[in-house]
Amino acid sequence: MKRVRGSSRVIAAVSATLLAALTLSACGSNTSSNTSQPGVINAIGAENQYANVLGQIGGKYVHVTSILNNPNTDPHTFEASTSVAEAVSNAQLIVQNGLGYDDFMNNIESASPNAARKVIVVQHVLKLPDSTPNPHLWYEPATMPAVASVMATDLAQIDPHHAKYFRARLAAFTASLGRWYAAIAAVHAHYGGTPVAVTEPVADYLLQAMGLHIVTPFVFQADIMNGVDPAPEDITLEDGFFTHHEVKVFCYNEQVVDALTSSIRDTATAAHVPVVGVYETMPEPGYTYQSWMLAEVAAIRAAIANGTSTEHLS
Amino acid sequence: MHVLFKPGFFSNVPVRHALVLGAIVALVSGVVGVMTVVRSQSFAGHALTDVATTGGAGAAYVGVSPLAGFLGGAVAGAGAMEFIGVQRARQRDIATGIVLGAATGLSALFLYLNATSSATTGVTQQVLFGSIFTVDSSTITVTALTGVIVLLVLAVVWRPLLLASLSAEMAAALGTRVRLVGAAFIVSMAVAVGLSSIAVGSILSTALLIGPAATALRLTRSLRAAIVTSCALGVVATWAGILCAYDSYDWDPSSHGLPVSSFIVGIVVLLYGISGLPGLRRRAHARNRDVLRTHDAHHAMPGSA
Repeated sequence: MKRVRGSSRVIAAVSATLLAALTLSACGSNTSSNTSQPGVINAIGAENQYANVLGQIGGKYVHVTSILNNPNTDPHTFEASTSVAEAVSNAQLIVQNGLGYDDFMNNIESASPNAARKVIVVQHVLKLPDSTPNPHLWYEPATMPAVASVMATDLAQIDPHHAKYFRARLAAFTASLGRWYAAIAAVHAHYGGTPVAVTEPVADYLLQAMGLHIVTPFVFQADIMNGVDPAPEDITLEDGFFTHHEVKVFCYNEQVVDALTSSIRDTATAAHVPVVGVYETMPEPGYTYQSWMLAEVAAIRAAIANGTSTEHLS
Repeated sequence: MHVLFKPGFFSNVPVRHALVLGAIVALVSGVVGVMTVVRSQSFAGHALTDVATTGGAGAAYVGVSPLAGFLGGAVAGAGAMEFIGVQRARQRDIATGIVLGAATGLSALFLYLNATSSATTGVTQQVLFGSIFTVDSSTITVTALTGVIVLLVLAVVWRPLLLASLSAEMAAALGTRVRLVGAAFIVSMAVAVGLSSIAVGSILSTALLIGPAATALRLTRSLRAAIVTSCALGVVATWAGILCAYDSYDWDPSSHGLPVSSFIVGIVVLLYGISGLPGLRRRAHARNRDVLRTHDAHHAMPGSA
């Protein structure tokens, strides 16, 4: 009999631990506050870089919420909470990436149908097929002007009185991208063809726009992105880029980290190959979409030109 | 030669680490597995893989080494099962089931917390299905030392354990501390599961524990031969799996290879299937008689006279 009481005590202890852990974890929330004044459009950017641009276009007539905004987590493995569902049900305009990057948004949207709600899917704005292998569209220089233009059009339809205001802000945003484009062109002109290794395709569109040569096989990048183990052949190949000094820069995804990527970074550091941290979502606070992209280009340029590492954007 | 071993196989550092680690894990699992099958504790072995999963997931969440998590989880699970009463045959399944359920729930929680709070992407895949090509040399050293300790412990308790497996009452009458040797074994089993979790993942570690042992027991006459065969089959399955995973790089250019743990487990199951062929299986009856003879030998030991 004594043993039976002992076992029930164990069960009680385990249940209590589980309950406590669940309660604690429920307190965390991924969304920012969702209060808004009347006459202001409720909008959501599934990723905080889209939310940031939405805010720049909508200005004082938009209240923007972002879903993916934690630079220490991997958006690829995000699991939506109930607060996200509530934000979505209140939203009049949603911007999301598509290409499977934020599929959870589709599920939440279909769970709270709203005919008046406008949803901008960046993949569709750019007319990309579902088979597009690299979903990190915001690193492609042509993406954001196209997306911002659709944002301005949709905002003007929701709130026609301020159409002129939205158009003016769109023009200002598009113009402000000029510094980033100039920086990309400068790297292309001075350092085009420079070999670069990466862990993940996160910044590939930007690296290609700068004319840099990505030596890491895409299959390896996709394995890391999808969280499966790469082939031993590819691991040896990737390490060889550093030990044989075949690359000038190593772009390291700060949001997709595991034992393997850390060991590759250590190999790069030991071989004195400069490491540049790249991100899935915009580092907060202190950055706008434009200043973030400009900082990435500056960091990569400094790595090529001076061998400087910028592991974290501060 | 190149048809079988693609160039670069033996010079590839991840492959060499995997071969060493795979051999250590197969040897420990081979020995522990034979006793697990003889004692009919396969279900307990499977439950331990679930607590190893919890340990691995928890380790990823708090950021310690996965091996420490697997070992800690499995040993803690073994302790819990022992405490609830795994030694009594009737309570064994209940205790095992309760620990299994609680452990799986905690794994789900840790993996969720991990996904929502940290940047460790492949954790679920690595915990469940292993990551043998990404193991560093310090992990191999720890694995080898832990494996040696387990084998030494088993060598000490082997004979009384075998007797207790055949008849707990008789073993107790002969002065064997049945509970103690049983506890020593379940902890050894937990460590074996923890070690093989590093190689083939926590969920698949039962396959490496039970598969080669069950195959060997079908094929051999004596328990000693079963242990040697079980270890050999485990090493063969692990090494052949690593070779297949390496060679599979060229099979389909779009995927760059298939996961190593699916090859290893596939080979284990294949070997078990082959061992069931009529001409091979017959010999198992002889071996059962052999185990009974061991029993008789103990029976005739001083104390029973």
